[in-house]
Amino acid sequence: MATRPLSRCVFSAASSKHLRSVVPRVAAFHSTPVGLNSSPPKDDQSSSEPVTHFGFQTVKESLKASKVAEVFSSVASSYDTMNDVMSFGIHRLWKDHFVRSLDPGRRPGGQPMSILDVAGGTGDIAFRMLDHSEKVNSDRETTVLCADINADMLKEGEKRAIQNGYDSNRISFRAENAETLESIPDNSIDLYTISFGIRNVTRIPMALKSAHRVLKPGGVFACLEFSKVSPAPLDAIYQQYSFSVIPLMGQLVAGDRDSYQYLVESIKRFPSQTEFARMIKDAGLVNVGKGYEELTFGVASIWKGVKPLD
Amino acid sequence: MNNTIRTNFSSPSIGRILSKPITSSSSSSSCCSSLTTPRIKFRRRYHSYQHPAPGSPFTKAESAILSASLLHVPSHGFSNAALSFGARDANYLDISVNMLPRGVFDLVHYHLATERLRLGDKIDFRKPENELPEGLRNLSIPAKIRVLCMERLRANAPIIHRWQEAFAVMSLAGNISASMSELAKLSDEIWFLAGDESHDTTWYTRRATLSAVYATTELFMTQDNSKDFEATWAFLDRRLHDVKTIGSSVSNVTSYLDFTVHAFANVLRSKNVPFF
Repeated sequence: MATRPLSRCVFSAASSKHLRSVVPRVAAFHSTPVGLNSSPPKDDQSSSEPVTHFGFQTVKESLKASKVAEVFSSVASSYDTMNDVMSFGIHRLWKDHFVRSLDPGRRPGGQPMSILDVAGGTGDIAFRMLDHSEKVNSDRETTVLCADINADMLKEGEKRAIQNGYDSNRISFRAENAETLESIPDNSIDLYTISFGIRNVTRIPMALKSAHRVLKPGGVFACLEFSKVSPAPLDAIYQQYSFSVIPLMGQLVAGDRDSYQYLVESIKRFPSQTEFARMIKDAGLVNVGKGYEELTFGVASIWKGVKPLD
Repeated sequence: MNNTIRTNFSSPSIGRILSKPITSSSSSSSCCSSLTTPRIKFRRRYHSYQHPAPGSPFTKAESAILSASLLHVPSHGFSNAALSFGARDANYLDISVNMLPRGVFDLVHYHLATERLRLGDKIDFRKPENELPEGLRNLSIPAKIRVLCMERLRANAPIIHRWQEAFAVMSLAGNISASMSELAKLSDEIWFLAGDESHDTTWYTRRATLSAVYATTELFMTQDNSKDFEATWAFLDRRLHDVKTIGSSVSNVTSYLDFTVHAFANVLRSKNVPFF
């Protein structure tokens, strides 16, 4: 606890009041009854701006990005520890499987790939991509660009890239909004990955549209995200665990209950496997197989889509 | 008879056969829809006179990559390299092979499914006799089965030196069920094209025994060095003969049991044992 960075100490001192208090204030402004566990209000017309969900809370669309940013700034330094604690280390297996199944890297007689890892601030997926392309496909040229909306997460990733001696020509970090990907040209990316990030994006269809825009024809969109657990009894246990144990552990290990409360709520709000596969299809990408692959009874899933040739 | 069949059905060119992609749209009209009007709309996994013909399980884009990859199998085997070359030939990127969720097994599966669907285009014994080619008229059912098996096995000839790799891929735990189901579909296809209309338990036993015969013959063929696979055809004949022998012994055993049980029941009845 003593080694927590100053920025986060400041945040967490204010956070518990902050996260909970903003919502009623927003609601009061627009005189719409909003509270925890409520769905977005029906009379959106009374509000000048569309609303979206932030966990179980309802917030204005313009506010979600900054609120998500607060959560991730607060968890950036303890991100991996908490992931390990919460998933018993299984998130590493998921990520390894994710990268192995994509098999990035130059093939014999082919070109090096250009990979975009969105919401990949801490470099988790990017480092695995580089390792895989080097060890499995003996490719030292494939590049990964980590784009993240959050500068704190990017700083964490950059620090790790230097610590682990990754070639700075092959990995770069850039602050970028997943909905727009402004600085990335059309048809320039072989492989777009987003791992445990898309549920935090305010307008997911826009992010998918941008993914479609930046991918080369034939390029692959791959998303690793929490999803719905399928056998009902297991789901009951999982819900119990995520709503009672995870926020508690967030409090004990990272000293930040509200951020982890948001994480489990946002997981619950994320669409089901088939719904999200349909969203990928609606963005103009072609689903791979049935559209998704479930990991660990559907706690997480991998969705893949290919941009058609024309 | 061998010669007649070979002249009539020898493949025009290996390349053309391999490169012709089968998509769901083309296959649905390919083999039997012209002969029977399906009464029920939804598809079945087996041949039925009431349902539309089973189509190809692959999408157009998948077929494009896989059909191009098959051309690289003779030189690169059933491997990721063949898939990458195929993707490039079909104007896709190297990474696009992610479109195939099961990787190399999809390539094997594609070969199995397309050759199965093509079989009906080559030989269809359900046509009227006068439309059939010379050497194939007035054959008995076992002879028709033999002809169809040979025709299907010939489709493996261009890649037979790589087919053991495919066996290895098919025998992986995750792929066994799909491979077995493909084998079942093939034996269903063969019986269907031979004009089998059984609707009793022999529907199952016929397909089961043919599956066993076909799978063993296919395995034998991978080791066959004889000219024009003559040893394989001899092997196939021996297996089909075995099936006939087994079939008749099974029916002998069945009639023996039937007689014994009835005789025993009658003995009980004659002793006034309350039986039924």
